[in-house]
Amino acid sequence: MSAMTERLVAGKSKFTVIHRRSWLPWLLAALILAVGVRLVSAAISSRIIDLKVVARYIFSEEILTGALNTVLLGTTSLAIALVLGLLVALMRISRNRLLAGMAAAYVYVFRGTPLLIQIIFWFNAFPTMFPEFALHLPLSDQPLVQAKMTDLVTPYLAALIALSLAEAAYMAEIIRAGMLAVDNGQREAVKALGMTPVAILRRVVLPQACRIILPATGNQYILLLKSSSLASVIGFLELVRISTDIYSANFRVVELLAIAAFWYLVMTAFVTALQSLLERSFPQR
Amino acid sequence: MESVFIDDVSKWRGAQRVLANVSVRVMPGEVVALLGPSGAGKSTLLRCVNHLDAVDEGRIFVEGTLIGYRQSGDRLYELKEREICLQRSRIGMVFQNFNLIRHLSALENVMLGPLNVLGTPRAKAAVRAQELLQMVGLGHKASAFPSQLSGGQQQRVAIARSLAMDPTLMLLDEPTSALDPELAEEVLATIRALAAQGRTMMIATHDMALARDLADRVIFMEAGAVVEDVPARQFFESPCSERARQFLKRLAPQARAA
Repeated sequence: MSAMTERLVAGKSKFTVIHRRSWLPWLLAALILAVGVRLVSAAISSRIIDLKVVARYIFSEEILTGALNTVLLGTTSLAIALVLGLLVALMRISRNRLLAGMAAAYVYVFRGTPLLIQIIFWFNAFPTMFPEFALHLPLSDQPLVQAKMTDLVTPYLAALIALSLAEAAYMAEIIRAGMLAVDNGQREAVKALGMTPVAILRRVVLPQACRIILPATGNQYILLLKSSSLASVIGFLELVRISTDIYSANFRVVELLAIAAFWYLVMTAFVTALQSLLERSFPQR
Repeated sequence: MESVFIDDVSKWRGAQRVLANVSVRVMPGEVVALLGPSGAGKSTLLRCVNHLDAVDEGRIFVEGTLIGYRQSGDRLYELKEREICLQRSRIGMVFQNFNLIRHLSALENVMLGPLNVLGTPRAKAAVRAQELLQMVGLGHKASAFPSQLSGGQQQRVAIARSLAMDPTLMLLDEPTSALDPELAEEVLATIRALAAQGRTMMIATHDMALARDLADRVIFMEAGAVVEDVPARQFFESPCSERARQFLKRLAPQARAA
């Protein structure tokens, strides 16, 4: 050992380590808190929200109906979008170039057009294109079912079709990303065993793809619940529409919007909880 | 009858020829080592035997059955996926990177083939899978997941998985190349046991020790063509071709260590 090292080592038996502390994060936190408190106190002192009005409407029948309609529309369109999205994803990765091309075109069109335009199209334009809806038995002249398209296509149905088709385009990409993340080697190994492509999809690819698909789907579900508010333009009685109808009458805009926001947060909380639950049943391996 | 008959097979990848007029015969119970430099076409040839890759010219027969195609006159029509799956189920394949299914346990991996391809009832498949894992020395690791197993253990599970299908032919594509010497030894022991059982095997490998130890015959390939096809002892002691001699000289330390 050199003389310098000896000097350093001599005497002390144990050293206490003191980690460095930064004051900057604390300063930033205090700043953010100050701003938050200022905003809240301003809101309270200016009395933008009359809690009596909130209490009157928050659990009222109309609001609850609106909230339920929102959940109904969001959930049913997600369910359809999942099935349709899987189909489109499979077409996208198929070796048949025509199918792959059509799927790519579908994704492009339905992701690229604003949802509002799609909703209005299905409610207004589509029944004009096909005024009559009739199901015929083959070789028969008598229709099994017959109706006017404008009667059939209610605001709910139009919104459902629009949201399902648009969401399916996003889900197709999410599902495709999940499937691509499963490495090819695993596919080859089970191919070598003699497993059919369908079996490989079911047993090997999809279970692993779900780990990626699930969080992204939770995201989409929450977005979908909020996008359903666009259906208000065609008269679907979801939460935002009901709230605006009420405040158009009593002019209590902030209170009613706060109520709507509250219920959206409740829905989001449920979806988040559901997502966590499902994620736990696909544990990390 | 031969176990495998590769009849004048050629394959191109774009403009490059990856297999050039390859003809090979493997008799039942024989262990054939495919040796050669990287890019020689060893893996490609193996993958053509179970139609994971398609050949462009020539035919491949396993146990007398034309693989991947139906012959009509001088035309070869590619078989439907279902029929090819059936053919593949009689041929076992082991990969360099093990390729175990990550979200399934070792036992479930071994059960995959019988459950999904043979339609074996779950309980029966589980018993057989446990036996096979026992045979490769991993009975105690049945409920472990691939991420919890070492490379050598994963490869042995992969071997058990292909054995579960009771194949007439085993294809091993660089089985020990991704393993350090110690782990490779475990896998070697397993493959040695398979050879002792009289299984027909084609092994593509860089591992000279493995080839020296197990091979009955060596097929030396380069640039997609078969350069030499001789009994193993003859290859290692006095190879005919200059190319093979160069190859062995460069790998001499490894070969001597075996």
